[in-house]
Amino acid sequence: MTHLHFSKTIASLFCVHVALIMLGTSVCHAEDLEEAEEKAFREAAALAEPSIVRIQTVGGLDRVGQILAAEGPTTGVVVSSDGFVITSSFNFVNQPTSIVVRHPDGRPLPAKIVATDHSKMLTLLKVDADDLTPAVTAPAEEIRVGQWALAMGRTFDENLPSVSVGIVSALDRIWGKAIQTDAKTSPVNYGGPLVDIQGRVMGVVVPLSPQGTDEAAGVEWYDGGIGFAIPLADINRVLDRMKKGEDLHRGLLGVSFPGASGLLGVDPTIDRVRVNSPADKAGIESGDVLVKIGDTDVASQSEIKHAMGKYYAGDRLSITVKRGEENISADIELVAELAPYESGFLGILPERQSSENAEGVGVRYVFLDSPAAKLGLKNRDRIVAFDKTETPNAEVLLDLVSRMQPGDTASVTWSSEGKPNTKEVELAAIPDQLPDELRSVAIVPAGDAVERPEVGHFSGTIPDGEMTYWAYVPDGYNPAASYGLMVWIHPNDDTMEAAILNKWRVICEQRGLILLAPRAENITRWTLPETAVVKQLVEKFLADYSIDQDRVFVHTMAEGGPFGLQLVLKNRDLFAGFSGVGTPLRGKLPENDPDFRQQFQFIVGPDDPLKPRINASVEALRKLKFPATLQEIDGLKSGIYPEKADVESLAIWADLLDRI
Amino acid sequence: MRWLRILLLASVVNLGIQSGLFAKSTRETIEYALPRVVKLFGAGGLRGLAGYGTGFLVSKDGHIATAWSHILDADQVSVVLDDGRRFEAKLIGAEPQLDIAVLKIENLTTELDHFELSTAKTVAVGQRVLAFSNMFNVAAGDEPVSVLHGVVAAKTDLAARRGAFQIPYDGPVYIMDAITNNPGAAGGIVLTRTGELVGVIGKEVRNARSNTWVNYAIPLPVLTKTIDAIIAGTYVEDEKPDEDAPDRYRPLDFGLVMVPDVVFRTPAYIESVLPGTAAASQGLQPDDLVLFVDNELVQSARELKRKLGALESGDRFEMIVRRKNRLITIQLTAPKKSDQ
Repeated sequence: MTHLHFSKTIASLFCVHVALIMLGTSVCHAEDLEEAEEKAFREAAALAEPSIVRIQTVGGLDRVGQILAAEGPTTGVVVSSDGFVITSSFNFVNQPTSIVVRHPDGRPLPAKIVATDHSKMLTLLKVDADDLTPAVTAPAEEIRVGQWALAMGRTFDENLPSVSVGIVSALDRIWGKAIQTDAKTSPVNYGGPLVDIQGRVMGVVVPLSPQGTDEAAGVEWYDGGIGFAIPLADINRVLDRMKKGEDLHRGLLGVSFPGASGLLGVDPTIDRVRVNSPADKAGIESGDVLVKIGDTDVASQSEIKHAMGKYYAGDRLSITVKRGEENISADIELVAELAPYESGFLGILPERQSSENAEGVGVRYVFLDSPAAKLGLKNRDRIVAFDKTETPNAEVLLDLVSRMQPGDTASVTWSSEGKPNTKEVELAAIPDQLPDELRSVAIVPAGDAVERPEVGHFSGTIPDGEMTYWAYVPDGYNPAASYGLMVWIHPNDDTMEAAILNKWRVICEQRGLILLAPRAENITRWTLPETAVVKQLVEKFLADYSIDQDRVFVHTMAEGGPFGLQLVLKNRDLFAGFSGVGTPLRGKLPENDPDFRQQFQFIVGPDDPLKPRINASVEALRKLKFPATLQEIDGLKSGIYPEKADVESLAIWADLLDRI
Repeated sequence: MRWLRILLLASVVNLGIQSGLFAKSTRETIEYALPRVVKLFGAGGLRGLAGYGTGFLVSKDGHIATAWSHILDADQVSVVLDDGRRFEAKLIGAEPQLDIAVLKIENLTTELDHFELSTAKTVAVGQRVLAFSNMFNVAAGDEPVSVLHGVVAAKTDLAARRGAFQIPYDGPVYIMDAITNNPGAAGGIVLTRTGELVGVIGKEVRNARSNTWVNYAIPLPVLTKTIDAIIAGTYVEDEKPDEDAPDRYRPLDFGLVMVPDVVFRTPAYIESVLPGTAAASQGLQPDDLVLFVDNELVQSARELKRKLGALESGDRFEMIVRRKNRLITIQLTAPKKSDQ
């Protein structure tokens, strides 16, 4: 038809005969190509189709984090005829009660989860069938950037898979783990195959993001022209392990680097080596420069992360570090989890106001049965040397002790009534129990001549913001002293301003505590973006008042808990503690990090229905070696704030945040 | 080279006249389609609602088909052609159930290029398509609308919702793998790369099952009869079917006691089976999980109730339950009800 049309045209326009023949031919070729490509898409889809199965789930959570869990069908790829199906872990984030895989011929088959690859966000399912058609794997070395890529799913229509056409945009993305494509990927085809023009499966479509690591990371990019697929060739390599039911995890080395971790970190010099980690066992030391991982030379933090991306926990490999002029190689076995970091504990509270002319750290209080007590340290003694450091101040001493482990030993020099002593001390773990009583430290009120920022009970609005707050600064506030800062995060629907002020006012005066209480923009609940505003407010107070960084903490109750916790965990450099009344932890816990020491306190009544979850929270934190205190208050009802008499014990916890 | 371009354009027009077909390549299709797609400006602008949309010419007398939307709430709608000519048009008819409306340009003195609705065609998954629309209002004056290309990703029934509300149309749609459904794009047209009419771009809606935005078009063969009837002035709106049929049956009517329906998505577990009932005689057991009724997935206890409720007296149906790791198929019949 095409040629006929053009020959007619040419006949009618004989005067430019030659020019149009040229034009006509080029157009014809373009048409042939378009038609051929379209046919090829459909053929490729048809070839891949028998290996694409529909997955249906029943039950499970309605909401996962910020995402409304969808209930629609999802897609999987058959990897062996005897019933193994690989798919995206995203499809099960809602923890369904039951999973059904549809045989391409329509039969429903009950499926069970065999194993999960937590590094690549894949889940292997098994159904009872022996006549499935496994996908044909596209060899990794044949996949080229720019070639056609079809992302397929079986969610819209059971009989006819959906097809989105794009190209391969990049290889080795997400730390060497994924093929990138501009074919549209979304919950509609997560778990489905990325197919080449010959109908072979290049990879399995999963949501991924270079930053996030959970099952739903990268979902917000759906249909955005950036999609990822885990190469099927890589999946095949670990399929036997997964078929045996082995869950796969990212392989960890146990080293960290200075500066901001992530994409921009350049320096591959090892900052810290985690105790008992594979790197530690291999003799890697702080200050070594990592130069080779497996067979790959590395020169930056991102290259290291990239090279590590393809390894799993349990993999053995050789790494090379440069120490001075020397290259040192070691064989290591990667692990899934590093032993949690546990800070050491000496057993003192430091003096807050350093007496003039005095050197070192004054002792305000010695904990019963602590290493310091065993040494014979007493109140008002001064620690003048620790390990190799002469005359540390409280901040330096805390850092030194935090970076050591319970059981580590160091020499301590202290002066007691003018007499110097030096002894070896064996550090202990930070105790979870609080002393029953702790004398407060009197703060000398500032004289009239001293200029002071606003004190007493007052309200304010954060500059450039909508957020209002109220605060209480002790009437006797003295800028020369140092204060703790309690950030009160109110529960839903009630700022509890009068109650909190009433119960804490005297304590604030006695123990040198400033109370800061932001109000949620909508009092019915806190929203996540407000963490940034509260942070800004806290920073303003840190600038305006004399506040001890080690004693800034969040105090909250009931529904304020999740927001308060987010605040603390997102700003680990800002908050030293979290104290919650009748609220358990939610979500993923961070690793304990000696650079950002954080302590937790949970207050609960004996009959609180949330008590089992709060107990579990304390357990989980202690497992991660966070100091976590559980305060059970007699007669405290669920949803009620403790009585004045009981608040004193909460204040003791706050007064201990700077313990060393 | 200017003369060459003119000659080429001439040849395309020539082709159309000679054969009744218009185009054979992507480029020719675009040149053919752009003058036939119009920008619409009407009501809106409040609460983030766009005051603009897309339509396409379906007669030489200035009939324009578009999606049924709030921009048509104005007395008159402005129509701007690709060459910048501006007309006023009036709504002459609509079928909200099909999400389609027809406008007519008033005081038209010349004939206009238009699409032949009779060339509407059904297409297959994987087929290349071009979508034409006034998306984001980037073409306000004497410039043509935007063109997107993609393939038909899927054919499916629209299980979508608009904001929190279902949109009325729930028939078959084409899903595109291009982001076709943008602000202002509703009422635009989708063509094959060779120029056949495929469908009308719908509104921005989310897929209720996957919580993703859907890029869909309503197939033109579904709409042409209605559009033709509106133009001919013979269209009568159908009466709405009764949507609220009463629940006739409860699980108990079959001898099934379900676990309490406590959360939004409580799975349909059987708590106990009453002796001597149909369920008992078919061997259903406590702890069986009802997965399918007549091959349709039962997501929750609530959905099972709904499915059973919609049965008619005497209906036979198949139920698939999961017991441990086995699926068991059973047949049941809705009992006769004396009060009906």
